[in-house]
Amino acid sequence: MAEPAIRPLVQVRGLSKVFGDNPLVAMERIGQGHSKDQILEQTGQTVGLNTIDLDIQAGEIFVIMGLSGSGKSTLIRHFNRLIEPTQGQITVDGTDVMTLSEKQLEQFRRHKMSMVFQHFGLLPHRTVIENVGYGLMVQGIEKSERRKKAGAWLDAVGLDGYEERYPAQLSGGQQQRVGLARALCTDADILLMDEAFSALDPLIRSEMQDQLIALQDRLHKTIIFITHDLDEALRLGDHIAILKDGLISQVGRPVDILLRPADAYVEAFVRDVNRARVLTADVVMQPPSCRLTNENLEEALRQMRGEEKDYGYLFKEDNFRGIVSRRAIEAEISKSGLKVDLIQLLEKPMSVHPGASLEKILPTTLGHPYPIPVVTDDGDFQGVVSQKDVISALTETRG
Amino acid sequence: MKIPTVLLSVVISGFLISPAVADCGKVTIADMNWNSASLIANVDRFILQHGYGCDAELVPGDTMPTGTSMVEKGEPDIAPELWSNSLKAAIDKGVAEKRLRVAGKSLTDGGEEGFWVPQYMVDKDPSLATIAGIKAKAKLFKHPEDDNKSGFYTCPAGWNCQISAGNLFKALKLKDDGFELVDPGSGAGLAGAIAKAFTREEAWFGYYWAPTAVLGKHKMVKVDFGSGADREEYMTCTTSAECENPKVTMYPPSLVETVTTESFARRATEAFGYLQKRGFKNAQMNELLAWVEENQADGNIAMEYFLKNHEATWQPWVSTEVAARVKKALAGL
Amino acid sequence: MAAARPDTPYEMEMVMAVENWLTTFPEMERADLIAIRKALDAGYRAFSRSYGDLIESLFDPLLYFLVWFEKLLLSTPWWLVILIVVGLVYGASRSPKLLVGVAVSLLLIGYFGMWENTMRTLSIITVCTILSITLGIPIGIMMARSDRTQAVVTPVLDIMQTMPAFVYLIPVVMLLGIGKVPGVIAVVIYAIPPVIRLTNLGIRLVDKEVLEASMAFGATRRQRLWGVQMPLAMPTIMAGINQTIMMALAMVVIASMIGVKGLGQPVLKSITNQYFTMGLFNGLAIVTLAIIFDRVSQAYARRTQRHLQGNAHG
Ligand SMILES: Nc1ncnc2c1ncn2[C@@H]1O[C@H](COP(=O)(O)OP(=O)(O)OP(=O)(O)O)[C@@H](O)[C@H]1O
Ligand SMILES: [Mg+2]
Repeated sequence: MAEPAIRPLVQVRGLSKVFGDNPLVAMERIGQGHSKDQILEQTGQTVGLNTIDLDIQAGEIFVIMGLSGSGKSTLIRHFNRLIEPTQGQITVDGTDVMTLSEKQLEQFRRHKMSMVFQHFGLLPHRTVIENVGYGLMVQGIEKSERRKKAGAWLDAVGLDGYEERYPAQLSGGQQQRVGLARALCTDADILLMDEAFSALDPLIRSEMQDQLIALQDRLHKTIIFITHDLDEALRLGDHIAILKDGLISQVGRPVDILLRPADAYVEAFVRDVNRARVLTADVVMQPPSCRLTNENLEEALRQMRGEEKDYGYLFKEDNFRGIVSRRAIEAEISKSGLKVDLIQLLEKPMSVHPGASLEKILPTTLGHPYPIPVVTDDGDFQGVVSQKDVISALTETRG
Repeated sequence: MKIPTVLLSVVISGFLISPAVADCGKVTIADMNWNSASLIANVDRFILQHGYGCDAELVPGDTMPTGTSMVEKGEPDIAPELWSNSLKAAIDKGVAEKRLRVAGKSLTDGGEEGFWVPQYMVDKDPSLATIAGIKAKAKLFKHPEDDNKSGFYTCPAGWNCQISAGNLFKALKLKDDGFELVDPGSGAGLAGAIAKAFTREEAWFGYYWAPTAVLGKHKMVKVDFGSGADREEYMTCTTSAECENPKVTMYPPSLVETVTTESFARRATEAFGYLQKRGFKNAQMNELLAWVEENQADGNIAMEYFLKNHEATWQPWVSTEVAARVKKALAGL
Repeated sequence: MAAARPDTPYEMEMVMAVENWLTTFPEMERADLIAIRKALDAGYRAFSRSYGDLIESLFDPLLYFLVWFEKLLLSTPWWLVILIVVGLVYGASRSPKLLVGVAVSLLLIGYFGMWENTMRTLSIITVCTILSITLGIPIGIMMARSDRTQAVVTPVLDIMQTMPAFVYLIPVVMLLGIGKVPGVIAVVIYAIPPVIRLTNLGIRLVDKEVLEASMAFGATRRQRLWGVQMPLAMPTIMAGINQTIMMALAMVVIASMIGVKGLGQPVLKSITNQYFTMGLFNGLAIVTLAIIFDRVSQAYARRTQRHLQGNAHG
């Protein structure tokens, strides 16, 4: 897969973290390929992360996923060095984070990255507006400006009117909106979100996901998002990395993860996903099998017979015009010879949107004998989805 | 041959002791928290126990609580060194009501009280041995909390000597010379103040009494008021909180007595006889206290030292049989 | 090998020696013990002789302040003192009920003739509290920041809290004489551990995520301490201060044994003389002071910490 050639915004190389009093012993065993459990048993040291390599592109939502204890929080806290690594390198926008002094690190945290926490991490003794402006306060920005900016972000997350409340007086969803506003308020390019929505109930969570997607459409931040929920990962992620026992099992686009799980662990993850809801038409579509460019009936019939297809897709100057069935052509020929123009035999094309979920297009594909064209809002033809494609995508485990 | 002798001696000693045991029974002795009293209490315990077969036990005590408790509750049985001046009325009343019995003087010379200054100050300026000299040099004796005043360390609040020291302070008009009463709070506070002054050879002027470890260790001079001791004035006025117009008098020697409860005196006549005879001279006690101080001995060890090394002193207090028993017990220590 | 029964006098001695050793504790020779005691005492005396004056002069400012503050309280008219105290109480608690209670208690104290002593105790307790807080909180902060410091300080605090006060009272008197300064030192030694312990505990108990959040936004160590750790630890620290005040008041009687004037003195007096009522009254006055301090500090803490509970809508 040819990913963009530009340098990734965040680059992680050989990152390892061992918790315990003698990390070097554990590092040695990591080098020898021992597993986390073996190392814990042999040395009493906990391996948090095991030689992680990652590339995160500017402007994407990069999701890190894994079961509890797999090292997600440990990994994300390395980006802003809330945790010191045992070994390895992290480069952010060309800066080697490991080489920063305490003062430089403070500046880096103030301007480069901000963070949203699972349990919100709000200051309980500060009002909502003070919480949102906290990052600016730390930077020493004066109060009136702080309030102005914080107020605007509070508006943006839909919490205007709550300025003078204390966090304890808000619901969980509202608190996390404050957390999000606080993170956005510093204008940092990179947003770290550690299970930011996990503490919320499903309805609020999906609302927050929508809000995040909407904000991201506007702001184009680089978001590193932690979750243990695959649906959330598939919904938000441009790329997903799957962590297991401190090791990366697989990195890829959501569909790669879903359709081509790298190992049994990922597969187990993926198994319970409702694919009909997650997979979309553009993922399963194929190029049209029988592409007609000639309006001559006989020509078309010959092509269809040659390719053993019952339906043909007519294009004119690369624009999709419609579908014609072999039976209709044959009937027409036997009835009236070759007088009629192919255009007149075109059926009214049924089409689906490339982003439509399989769940949505399934009735359409089942209701029509031909593969349904996939067409964008602008009328661009992308491909076709057949009944068979949809069903195999829903049932198949490995691509 | 051997066995009958042993048996016999057991029988005999049993015979000899048992009446005393029956008489004496359980005896509680107040162990006051100063060394001389503790020494005497321990000597009494040992002699009563081994010489008279009492079941003697020491209980902590202090002048006021012990005296009051003996009058009111008949406990403890013996106060071996009671400074009875300060409790005079209560003891007289106890004796009159047949609750208490005074056995005799535990310090035959009586106790000394007075206002004292360190020897090293008098060595430098002999005039400080008199009250006139002190008043003239009042500035020497700095008040601990106010440099502009002079301090007189009085007897701790709540002690009976607080009244007498206060009255004499008034009578001597020490206030006119800039002196203020400094309450040391407790005996330990007073002793600590003296010890602090002595380690640094600072000036000190205050109330104290003898014989005590403190005065044994820190050589002090009793300040002469030039008035002599007026026992009458002392009894009626100096020691009374209501004394309107106190006059100057030196402290008359205090009566330091052995007081017992009437019930003890009656049930243990022999033992009471010992207490009547038992008494120390001040010189002797000072010597003992010096030894105690030197060796940081507690009352028990001091008792052992005394009984072993000063036989001549205590033997006359008891009969020869008792002395023999005590000596035997001593050998077993 | 068959000789279970001792045959020779020598063996007999051996057996007895062993038995003695088994039945009675093998103690140090008394003479050695005395030598050690003497040496330590002499050492302390020598120390006090050479450094006593210097150390005493270091405490002079404290002494002046103590004397000044006591004089101030004693020379201020009683009604003004009551007004000020009541004003402070109301300012801290905003509770009219507490205000009336405090005023009535103080009036009763004065009526029963304990005004001066109460003022003396109030003065020394106030100073001890201020001192304990200004020393205790920084120590607590240092403890919270370093496990090593915590490991060193904790046993010292244990000693301070369990060592009977008399044990250090006399050395302090030997060094500084009797009176207010040694009294304050004794009280502070006894009363400071709670504020240190609870400052440490409070800071260590601060929600890790909140602290991480402040770090993630680039807060400096100082911003974290004063902006997050201290405010969040405040309820715990206030509990420590409260404890410290209570313990300081409990020490009043002991402190009076080295000449600290105040309510402790009459209590001590009544202990020596069984003046039951006098002891009770003065004891009650101490209790009253304790309750005033306690209620006021608690009410203040509650009022300032209200937003930490979710139910108070402001
Ligand atoms: N401070 C620490 N000391 C020791 N071990 C730790 C520490 N923090 C994390 N670990 C260990 O490192 C491993 C990874 O922990 P981490 O918190 O990163 O997991 P996680 O994937 O975030 O889990 P969760 O979904 O439960 O939050 C776990 O085995 C954990 O026990
Ligand atoms: Mg986590």
